[in-house]
Amino acid sequence: MQGNHPIGDSRRAKAVRRAAAPLAVTVAAALMLAACGGAKKQSGDAQGDGGTLVVDTSFSLKTADPGRTFEPTGILVTRPVYDTLLTFAGGDVTKPVPLLAASYEAAPDAKTFTFPLRPEAKFSDGTPVTAKDVVFSFNRVKNLKGNPAFLLDGVTASAKDEHTVVLTTEAADPALPFRIATPALGVVNSKTVAAHGGTDAPGADQGDKAEQFLNSDSQGSGPYRITKYDVSSEVILTRNDNYWGAKPKYAKVVVRNVPANTQQLNVLSGESQISLDMSPDQAVKVKGQAQVLQQPTPTTAFLFSNDNPATSPTTSNKDFQEAVRYGLDYKSLLDVAGAGSAQAAGIVPSFFTGALDPAKAVQRDVPRAKAALARAGLNNPSVDLYYASDVTINGINFGDLGARVQANLKEVGITINLKPAPTQTALDSYRNGSEAMGLWWWQADYPDASDYLAFTPGELVALRAGWKADANAEVSGLAQRAKVATSDAERVQLYKQLQEAMNKTGPFMPLLQPAQVIAANNTVKNLHYNPIWYIDVDKLG
Amino acid sequence: MSTSSADPTVDRGTPRTAAPRKGAAPGPRAARGSHPFARFVLVRLSVGLLLCLGITILAFVLTHAVPGDPVAANLGDRAQNDPAAVAAFKEKNGLNESLPSQYGTYLDNLLHGDMGTSQQTHRPVWDDLADRVPASFELALVAIVLALVIGVGLGIVAAVTRNRWPDRIIRVVSLAGVSMPVFWLAQVSFYLFSFKLGWIQAGGRLSPGAIPPEDITGLYTLDSLLTGDTGTFGEAFSRLVLPACVLAAFNIGVLTRFTRAAVLEALGNDYVRAARAKGLPEFTVIRRHVLRPALTSILTVAGLTFGGMLAGTVLVENVLSWPGLGQYAYKSALNLDLPSIMGVCLFVAVVYVVINLLVDLLYGVIDPRIRLS
Repeated sequence: MQGNHPIGDSRRAKAVRRAAAPLAVTVAAALMLAACGGAKKQSGDAQGDGGTLVVDTSFSLKTADPGRTFEPTGILVTRPVYDTLLTFAGGDVTKPVPLLAASYEAAPDAKTFTFPLRPEAKFSDGTPVTAKDVVFSFNRVKNLKGNPAFLLDGVTASAKDEHTVVLTTEAADPALPFRIATPALGVVNSKTVAAHGGTDAPGADQGDKAEQFLNSDSQGSGPYRITKYDVSSEVILTRNDNYWGAKPKYAKVVVRNVPANTQQLNVLSGESQISLDMSPDQAVKVKGQAQVLQQPTPTTAFLFSNDNPATSPTTSNKDFQEAVRYGLDYKSLLDVAGAGSAQAAGIVPSFFTGALDPAKAVQRDVPRAKAALARAGLNNPSVDLYYASDVTINGINFGDLGARVQANLKEVGITINLKPAPTQTALDSYRNGSEAMGLWWWQADYPDASDYLAFTPGELVALRAGWKADANAEVSGLAQRAKVATSDAERVQLYKQLQEAMNKTGPFMPLLQPAQVIAANNTVKNLHYNPIWYIDVDKLG
Repeated sequence: MSTSSADPTVDRGTPRTAAPRKGAAPGPRAARGSHPFARFVLVRLSVGLLLCLGITILAFVLTHAVPGDPVAANLGDRAQNDPAAVAAFKEKNGLNESLPSQYGTYLDNLLHGDMGTSQQTHRPVWDDLADRVPASFELALVAIVLALVIGVGLGIVAAVTRNRWPDRIIRVVSLAGVSMPVFWLAQVSFYLFSFKLGWIQAGGRLSPGAIPPEDITGLYTLDSLLTGDTGTFGEAFSRLVLPACVLAAFNIGVLTRFTRAAVLEALGNDYVRAARAKGLPEFTVIRRHVLRPALTSILTVAGLTFGGMLAGTVLVENVLSWPGLGQYAYKSALNLDLPSIMGVCLFVAVVYVVINLLVDLLYGVIDPRIRLS
């Protein structure tokens, strides 16, 4: 009907133009204002004063209180804020080196460790770091009973004098120096923390009230201070002018919560300088335009075949386990993980002391797998494989990995039924040991082979795979000896033997170490990968 | 066909005699003053309160029905194996009590203004919401304004140019708006407008390390204007544009299609023809005789749209790193963080109740017949 009224049409067009005019004016005004300048920057942004480093990562962060921190982003941001007694230089995690301690001495029985403190070390408020602060910090971690408390199991901290700390252990503990270098054991200013509700006394798990204070105002002796903490968007570190050591280049470090896809674009556009979470596929796209570090992580992805007959008579069959072990095509699994990943020869990651030689890694042997399956007496076995479907570890989708395992084992004659579930649901069945087969990962709590004793019979992870304490005397014996061995050579030898024995008879099949991709634009210098805290922001030039 | 019966704003269930003529003396119900109106508001608020209570029960039950364990979600492998650490976590979060007792404690605390402590941020949920709601509110507000202005505008243009090229183009555009998934649109828009063309900055509310404006309302654009900081306003606005447009896209599509249909219905009425015959300017005809009757229906959709936008923020905020309620809700669900999940659900329920109440009240402002009845 409207088309029959040309005069009306022209009036309507005019009416539309009149209605649209205010909108156009508003949008134009807003865009002009938007173009008129940027927000104020915090002091120290001037190029002559070091500038700002922007690091993009997908946040895994709950707190900036070092006594409660154990998430990857938490470790990244607290490491340059709270100095530890020992640390690791660059990416070398095979040897702890002194930081707050001027040196350290371990008794021959590995039960007493003495740490003389650097006299020049002081907190961000200028007060000196004393042995009392170290004892307070360690006791607080223990009594908070949070995620990092296990690092000090059986450890007693005492102050020999104002500048000497002594740690004693109930049993020989040669791995203690490696645990001491963990950022969760960063030293806090005991006086200010106590003044704000902190306590190191038993009952601190309910009585300590210092977390909010530490989230808003850090109390460490490291090269940076936390000046803004937002658990979901960004953490800002500002250079500590009272730092006792070498002054870091960047006046400010902004760590932002950004999804992996956006990180790639941000680094290329210069919106940020460093990305920590790109996948190997994304890394290919930025090579040539940005510097890329791509190497295996200290995370081991593994498959287990439950050893408990009550859970599954099939998967607990030792011949079935051998069939799975030799039926897997480990090289094809690396295709899923992408460039930079590596086959896990044993359960201990490749760059830790005591890691198994890559040449000793299990290789696919289909005839051997079929022979083992025939010995097992199982006719076309069908088994459920559980995994977390909503999580990606360094670009690896466990659904893709599970599908590849399914295809590998089908060639041997084993039918795998994929059982994906959201992480929180899958964790339940994994942790209560009810999965017949599981596809999981273990990220190192600290960079020492002793962290992987959890996979030996009767221990934390082994029980999830139904591997009970009395299941394998040889492996248990090696684990006990490795745990208390004090000489480096003996430790290395025992951990290697232990992993070889586990690769022969254990229910675990170590699959791979995913690749960590760190991309940085070319303005960043001195970039190194650290397997525990990714990058040393204070060492970047 | 009589004018009034064809008017889409007339409540078909209401007897026509309930709508008195303009200028007529008030009837006996109107003479009783605002009492029925106050009663109406009171009833709606009471229903809203019950609705919020129901939401808390539902959220509580559903969160516990998920086959996951907050202990497993919040404690690491080692701590989860340590009975002392597990006991401390349960004690601190009240997980030792029975479920009804936990719910009772939650309600009791809620009545005292305590929404509990988040297991993921270790802060009071109230503080978390207070930090994040302004960011989402600013985003949703700009998005709804965009959706209303553009959606209603395009709907009108499409209706008055029915079956001609502007109408056809608008229909295709609106179909695209309702068809494109928000997460995809966010990714593509970011890539195109921010990365490739460099027209718009995106990611966060301000550039990394920038100082936010003085906290007056929590809305960075408004606060920076109030404090006369045009530099920060420019940046806050420019970073708001992309997420707001993405969030508005779906709703622009919905509102365009809905407005077009409502305006077309109104355009066919005798009273519109009569207004034109009287020689009224076309703009006046559309504004007074077409748009106004169509407005109640548009308002209903707009009210629902604003609530729906809060759900849309979950995707947009996560893709475009906007530190608002959507990001918080996503992380809370991922960590089975019950106090935070309850807090978010309660907040969204309150928003829905308030918006619906406002929409009902606005009906009366727009249409005198509804007000008088």
